Amino acid sequence: MSEWHRRDPLNRNPASARASALYRAIGLGSAKSGAHHWWLQRMTAVALVPLLLWLVVSLLAHARGGHQAVALWLGRPAVAVTMAVLLVALFWHMKLGLRVIVEDYVHADRVKFAALAAVDLVCVALMAIGVFTSLYLAFR
Amino acid sequence: MLIKSSKQVSRWRNPKRFPVSRNSGASPASRIEAGVTWPEPEGATRVQHLQVYRYDPDSGRNPRIDTYAIDRDKCGPMLLDALIKIKNEIDPTLTFRRSCREGVCGSCAMNIDGSNWLACIRSLDEINEPATVYPLNNMDVVKDLVGDQTHALAQYTSIKPWLRSKTPAPTRERLQSPEERKRLDGDYECILCFCCTSGCPSHWWNGDRFLGPAVLLQAHRWLVDSRDEATGERLDELEDPFKLYRCHTILNCTRTCPKGLNPGKKIAEVKLMIQQRRS
Repeated sequence: MSEWHRRDPLNRNPASARASALYRAIGLGSAKSGAHHWWLQRMTAVALVPLLLWLVVSLLAHARGGHQAVALWLGRPAVAVTMAVLLVALFWHMKLGLRVIVEDYVHADRVKFAALAAVDLVCVALMAIGVFTSLYLAFR
Repeated sequence: MLIKSSKQVSRWRNPKRFPVSRNSGASPASRIEAGVTWPEPEGATRVQHLQVYRYDPDSGRNPRIDTYAIDRDKCGPMLLDALIKIKNEIDPTLTFRRSCREGVCGSCAMNIDGSNWLACIRSLDEINEPATVYPLNNMDVVKDLVGDQTHALAQYTSIKPWLRSKTPAPTRERLQSPEERKRLDGDYECILCFCCTSGCPSHWWNGDRFLGPAVLLQAHRWLVDSRDEATGERLDELEDPFKLYRCHTILNCTRTCPKGLNPGKKIAEVKLMIQQRRS
């Protein structure tokens, strides 16, 4: 089947329609990255297990005292630091995970670029807002 | 665990059909149509019905499902025997690949009752009534049950699946200890039937860049070979968000492998090797 070539469903490279199958399989080659992303995603996931348990239990314990009690609790240095670590881990994990979802399912190049940029910006913004809010409550 | 009977498979199974994404290139008019229902065999007591996917790109018509009836008492025990019987006695236009008829060549991989397996080692006792026989998914159909493996094989070529060594070749064979040889177990048995790659959702969505379980299993086979001296280069070539890390351990590959291999685990080992050299 020399005349026959695999249809490029994504039309990523229409100019290469007559290129060899090997050329298409190699594509742009290896990015020589990805391990860092993979490792951080697992690290943040593992870190979030105890952190989120701690958050749920602590919030339940202080919920009865209302806003005042929670703010007082957040004012403790150890709690403020743990809370900041939790928020960084949470939103960093969210950023890494959403990136994978976009890469999996979004194939139109421009839409993908916009989606990846939006994921990164929104997650970092949420992280900054979260950390600022908890520190504001702690030091007020 | 090697699944020997469909009774070992959970009653709760994955849905057989998946939505087709818009950018898969299928035209809206492309629909599988009802095909010919071939006559029942005369005087048969045990009849097996097969609903077989038929497609001839030269005809310009849509694919269709033909229904064949097989007299089990006049047919061999395996699905491949039934397909050969159909081709010999009922419909000579039915097209499929087959060679060894004993599960070592990987030619007759097809989608049987919704999961990928080799027709030559799938017993007729273990298929549904009626059973569905489709070509491997995510491959362009050349004709009937023959899928086009050009891309999958090109991906295999792209990992350079041969011994790369800088040490001058010895005058005799390159020796391995039994332990070194043992590390190839679970890798060397792969027959490249592409049941796993064709069943991998990550390869459906990103098959142009993700190498797929079959090729990554072969990559692992060369990474752990004690005679190969290109481990670093191989890991460099694999470390890519798409080539390797598109594997999300869905494990359809492990579930479907007709040789009972575990590509998912081997891919995880490749990821660990990359992590190992970073820390």
